[in-house]
Order: sequence, then structure tokens, then C-alpha cells
Amino acid sequence: MIRDITFGQYYPGKSVLHRMDPRMKLVLTFAMIVAVFICHNFYALALMVVFAVSAVLLSRVPLRMILKSIKPILIILAFTAVLNIFYTKGGATYFEWWKISVTEKGVNTAIFTVIRIIVLVVISSLLTYTTTPTMLTDAIERLLSPLKIFHIKVHTLAMMMTLALRFIPTLIEEIERIMNAQKARGADLESGGLIHRAKALVPIFIPLMVSSFRRAYELAFAMTCRCYTGGNGRTRMKQMKLRAADFIALLLCLAVIAGIIVLNIFFTRII
Amino acid sequence: MTYPVELRNVSFYYSAGTPIQVAALKNINLKIGRGELVGIIGHTGSGKSTLISHFNGLLRPSEGSVIIDGEDLGNDKETLRAARFKVGLCFQYPEAQLFEETVAGDIAFGPKNMKLPNDEIQSRVLKAAEFVGLRPELLDKSPFDLSGGEKRRAAIAGVMAMEPEVLVLDEPAAGLDPGGKNEILAMITEYRKRTGCTAVLVSHSMEDIANIADRVIVMNGGTIAMDGTVNEIFSRSAELKNMGLNVPEITRIFIRLRELGYDVPTDVYSVEKGAEILREIIGRRSPL
Repeated sequence: MIRDITFGQYYPGKSVLHRMDPRMKLVLTFAMIVAVFICHNFYALALMVVFAVSAVLLSRVPLRMILKSIKPILIILAFTAVLNIFYTKGGATYFEWWKISVTEKGVNTAIFTVIRIIVLVVISSLLTYTTTPTMLTDAIERLLSPLKIFHIKVHTLAMMMTLALRFIPTLIEEIERIMNAQKARGADLESGGLIHRAKALVPIFIPLMVSSFRRAYELAFAMTCRCYTGGNGRTRMKQMKLRAADFIALLLCLAVIAGIIVLNIFFTRII
Repeated sequence: MTYPVELRNVSFYYSAGTPIQVAALKNINLKIGRGELVGIIGHTGSGKSTLISHFNGLLRPSEGSVIIDGEDLGNDKETLRAARFKVGLCFQYPEAQLFEETVAGDIAFGPKNMKLPNDEIQSRVLKAAEFVGLRPELLDKSPFDLSGGEKRRAAIAGVMAMEPEVLVLDEPAAGLDPGGKNEILAMITEYRKRTGCTAVLVSHSMEDIANIADRVIVMNGGTIAMDGTVNEIFSRSAELKNMGLNVPEITRIFIRLRELGYDVPTDVYSVEKGAEILREIIGRRSPL
């Protein structure tokens, strides 16, 4: 059933990472993603792995959830590994047959890239595991608010994003309802050629559009009735506040980045 | 003897095979006789809508079998499609299914899917529209220009135009004012009288069902908790209360009067009948 698709992947919890200010989490996640890319040798990468593993442990998100986020990229991982093994040349040759050869550099690059991608995915999915979509859009709104001087309506954009996220499950339910109603009137959605199928979608698409517009109007009225006038002068129920934990996290991340730079300088570059 | 709708040991699970599997129906056995008007009542989440979605094969049972008109709905596509036309299902808030440019076009959607000849479709559209009380001049309008009550009628006409042997209506009067509600219910009684079809009416309102149903099925927690005539069901008001259901207000008044020692019947489902009986009792007493 369509309803089984979960949107967002927030994993409820009360860990330090869950309680951190979403703005700090967002900024640090970006910083650490950059950090993964500046690693140039295994020592620096190892530091990143240690960082990622400790972050996972701190978040108390179960390991199987983390593995679930890696699962969809397994093919990409395999592809990258194969490409790197066969196309990067240099160093000692381990294996050679016809035009294909496997060299030391190839193997190293392959391992390095795979670990790098895994770390990337783990770090970014930790952000979504520990932060609800609403908190994330809130954080984006706050972080982008300096753009107001260019007359960009940051609040409006964030509100649109929040509403869009909020209505995805509602729309999925609605589609299911309409599909059932039309199927009950004998609509055939499964058979026929491409054109026939596209035509068969009309009885589902039109009611969906109509009800979406109706919903949008109703929502707009409801918001107006509650005196919504946009972002100006609007206060928040959940104040975002940087706490000690956020600054400690900041310092830790800075330390890791510094460590990576130092390790990059002291050991030979392999990628 | 075959039944228009028969369910044998039907169970249905949502998200079957996953840790969040939920049993929506548990071992349901049900026979609906030809020409019956069956009311299905139950609390929200008792499995009413899941149950009726089995009648036309929209949902396939996880266990057990559904037999429509003597034919087991297996997994054969053709049998399933045929069942859609034999059992006309009209969901809650059916106005959400309107989509055509004209009301007539929308009512014709079902019959068109049945691949009927054009003149037959035309006559069925007119017949169904007349039945639900849609004025002919409305037929060429866009369904989105109709009022709420008219949209509901148009949508119900869309199902009636398929002339199903079994007409299943899920909360046909939901969200309508009392006048509109009574009109819809009267329309269903009239339709059945004229066509003699079998009808199933789902509702959580006892009042709606009490006055028109021959037989009432009470759903609770995915099982059939009670099955009997209106009188039989309402005589078990204490049990109904435990299931979060209530007998009609007027019936409650008469049950209470009886408890207080008055000699009154308890099978009173409409205010009119109640008033009549009360008037009679008061009239019998000589004024002081």
C-alpha cells in the first residue's frame, strides 16, 4: 500500500544529538561533509570514521536504522569501487590479465572512496534521524533569514516547505480514496497501453486537483482567521537556543577538522 | 441457494507480514440475502469500511473467501471486474469522485466502463438522475458548480446508474443537514422499493438505520458483534453502550420510562411514533 512509504526518517529519541539546536546541527553537518572531502589520506579518513561512529553512538539511533540508510546506495558503492579498481593506475601491480590490471593505487582509491561515501551518508542521515522535518525547515528559515535584505521572503518559503511536508501523507490518503471510488465504478487502472493508462488517470487527477485547491483555500482561510500575516513580528513557541552542548559540539567538530588538516599535512596524499 | 454477498471465514490484515500488522477483520462469516436492506453499524475503526471493500473485491481477504452471487472472487481479473458492477459501492463523501465536465458525463462513467451501448447509457443516466432528484437542467452543468447536497446526489446517481444488484452506501448522509439526510435516506428506501435490489447501508448513527433497515449488523473490533433485527439489536442497549454505540435518543427515553415502571413499548425509533404513544398515555390519565 502507498501508505507504507514513510516520509522523512525521524527516529524519536532524547539523546544529546536530538536535543541540539537544529541550526547548529545543520551547519555542523555541512561542515563535516566538507571535512570528509578534504581528507587526503587514510589517517585523516580514520579520524572522520571515529567521528561518525561516535556521533552514531551518541545519537542512540539503532544500528539497523543506520544500515537501512546505507542500503539504497549499495549499488552506487559497488559501481564506484569497481570503476576505481580498474581505472586508477599506479604503484605495484597486484593482478594483470589482457588489458585489465589491478594496481595498489586502484585498490587504495576504491577503499578510500567507498569509506568516504559511507561516512557521508551516515553523517547526513544522522541529521534527518535526529531532527524532525519541521525543525529542519525552521532551522533553514533561521539560517537563511539574513537573505531578507535582498527582499527574499525566507519565512514564506519556509512556511511553504513545512506545509508541503505536512500535506504529503494527507494527499496520499486522498489519492487512495479517490482511486478506490473510481475503481468501484469500474475504472480500469491496470491494463491497456500507455495512452489508455494516461487517460485512465484523468478521473483520479481531476478530483485530486479540485480537492487540493479546496484544501489550500480552507487552509488559507483558517490561517487568516488565526491572524497569520506572514513572518513579520511573529514569535515562536519553540525558541531555538544555543546551549552548552551546541558549543561543545562546535568545538569538537573544529577539533576534528583541525586534526584532519594536520594529518593531511603530515602524511602523504593518496587521493 | 446463492446469496448476493457471502463471506466465509474472512480475515483481513493491514500491512500483512510486517511487524505492524493489524487485523482489521477477524474471521467474518456473513450472508446477505436477496432484497434485504442491511444496516452495518459500528464505532470508528470497527472494520465497517474494510468489510464493505471486500464486497466488490477492492480489498482481497488475507484469509477466507468472498462469494458474490455464487461466484468465488478468486484472483481472476474478469470475475473481479464483474463484481465491481454487481456490487455498487458508494464511499463516504462520494462527491470527491466527481471529475467529468458535466454531471451527465460523470453519472455515465460507471455505465461506460461496463461497455454498454450509448442509448442504454443515456437512458440509465436520466433514470438515475431522476431518482436522486437532480433536475434535468443540472445535467449539463459542471459537477463542481453544484451545491454540496446536489454533488452528493450526483455521486450516488453515478453508482446507481450501474444498476448493481447490491447497492452499498457508506455513510450516505454524513455531513448533510437533517433535511438533506432524511431526503437521502428516503431516496434509498424508494430506490429499493422500485428496483427490489439488495442494499447495505453503513452508518454510525443508529437513528438513520433504525427506521429503514430490515436487519442490523453491529461491528466491533473487526468482528460481527451482533446480527439481527432492529428490535433484537436495540434490546441489548447495555452491550451496545460498551461498544461505544448508543440506541436512538427517543428509544433511550422509552427504555428509561419502562425502567421507571411505565407500561410503554421500547421499540420506538422515531420521535413521531414516540410522541404519539406519549400523547395516548397522557390522554388516558384523567386530569386532576
